[in-house]
Amino acid sequence: MDNTMLIGLTRQLTLRRQMDVVANNISNANTQGFKAERMMLEPDTSMRARHQDGPDRAKFVDEWAMGRDFSQGALTHTSRPLDLALQGDGFFMLETDAGERFTRDGAFTLSPQGELVASDGARVLDNNGAPILLDPRAGQITIGESGAITQNGQQIAQVGVAQFADQGVLNKTGDNRYVAPEDAERVIEDLPQIKQGFLESSNVRPMLEITTMMEVSRAYASVTRMIKDADELSRKAIDRLGRP
Amino acid sequence: MRALSTAATGMEAQSLAVEVISHNLANMNTVAFKRQRAEFEDLLYQTVSQPGANSSDAGTIVPTGVQVGLGVNAGSVYRIAEQGGLSETGNRYDVAISGQGYFRVQMPDGNDAYTRAGNFSLSPNGEIVTADGYTVMPGIVVPAEARQVAINTQGQVQVLLDGQPQPQVVGQIELATFPNEAGLEQIGDNLLLESAASGAPNLGAPTDPGFGQVRQGFVEVSNVDAVTEITSLIQAQRAYEMNARVITAADEMLATSSNLR
Repeated sequence: MDNTMLIGLTRQLTLRRQMDVVANNISNANTQGFKAERMMLEPDTSMRARHQDGPDRAKFVDEWAMGRDFSQGALTHTSRPLDLALQGDGFFMLETDAGERFTRDGAFTLSPQGELVASDGARVLDNNGAPILLDPRAGQITIGESGAITQNGQQIAQVGVAQFADQGVLNKTGDNRYVAPEDAERVIEDLPQIKQGFLESSNVRPMLEITTMMEVSRAYASVTRMIKDADELSRKAIDRLGRP
Repeated sequence: MRALSTAATGMEAQSLAVEVISHNLANMNTVAFKRQRAEFEDLLYQTVSQPGANSSDAGTIVPTGVQVGLGVNAGSVYRIAEQGGLSETGNRYDVAISGQGYFRVQMPDGNDAYTRAGNFSLSPNGEIVTADGYTVMPGIVVPAEARQVAINTQGQVQVLLDGQPQPQVVGQIELATFPNEAGLEQIGDNLLLESAASGAPNLGAPTDPGFGQVRQGFVEVSNVDAVTEITSLIQAQRAYEMNARVITAADEMLATSSNLR
């Protein structure tokens, strides 16, 4: 009896968390550069649910990892000259007080000093890891698909793009940003195109999220049902066996 | 259950988006209005299992970890300083800026404000003023006896006086540009204020390098595009509905649990 209840409980806990993940995806359905996430589950191998007798196939369920869907989000036209979108794998590099951060949200502005910055003032880095200084008086800023920033016909800097051998090592820190572990392997291959005047929208697929949500809440209800049945079973057993 | 509050942040964010869109639509016919856009950022992440943590005694590690996000918040509301169309009015004191720059006007409290709304007129003492009566800097007085007033693309105000064949220059309209014009503070009445984010104004004459030109007899219309706004409105409304659905589903899950006994 305990097994049914406890295994059911681990499933309920993971379902709740799956629901949290779905809720986060849906609430970020209109967040630029957001990447949808999916909870991945596994049977807990470290301990068996049934210890004493019988087959030991009964196992608890446990979260294994967070799968992040790094597929391209749709590009929306904004016609703001400092809106940049990446088409292809890679991240813009930002310099924040907490260290280097990576983002695919390319809604940048100029600081009063003329540096290219993100909405909270974090500096955008160029391909050499240095801040990008523009002259706000020098006229129109043109950013090519390779990331080259041109003003008055002169190339000033190149927007830096970071790529990782395995994007799964990145951690989200909120504010549309990621942090990479120090030993993350960087690669440079097929640099993404940079589109000026576009923003990458969230790659959350609402249909998928809603169906996942339905699945999760139905699964939750049936696990609850199962726990109820197990409870009923043990109640009956006690009732019958306890009869004189 | 975090899903409830996570979805609530989503609903809040989408209602902000609707507010911004309705402000844009309400100002579709406001002179020189610049449309705005709400931007969102994902909120904090709660780490359930740390990436790189040991998952067994044999030294295997958790490859990606489990981080559950807590929703969304408003990052910023941008003003999109895209050029609006120029509409001919025939009014000789209407001036539109084509390109970079803002008119500098003096508010009643003596401070400077900036605007692109060039629907000017004359004050009782002949000064060129905004629709609210604020002086357009540096203060240009058009003599009452002027037969004609011409403002050229360089911003020079010339008048033709009776008995004088040559036009007289009575003033020069000046423009201001900012390092970060998105950082200007909006105070309503089509006026903007310098802020720490915008940087200090850089004054100059129209057609100087980095400045736009001015056109007499035109005003700049709002750069709101109704089709874009309506599409964003649909998007925001659907996203709002979906978040509400999440709340219902999470609530149902809680209800099944509480019906256990």
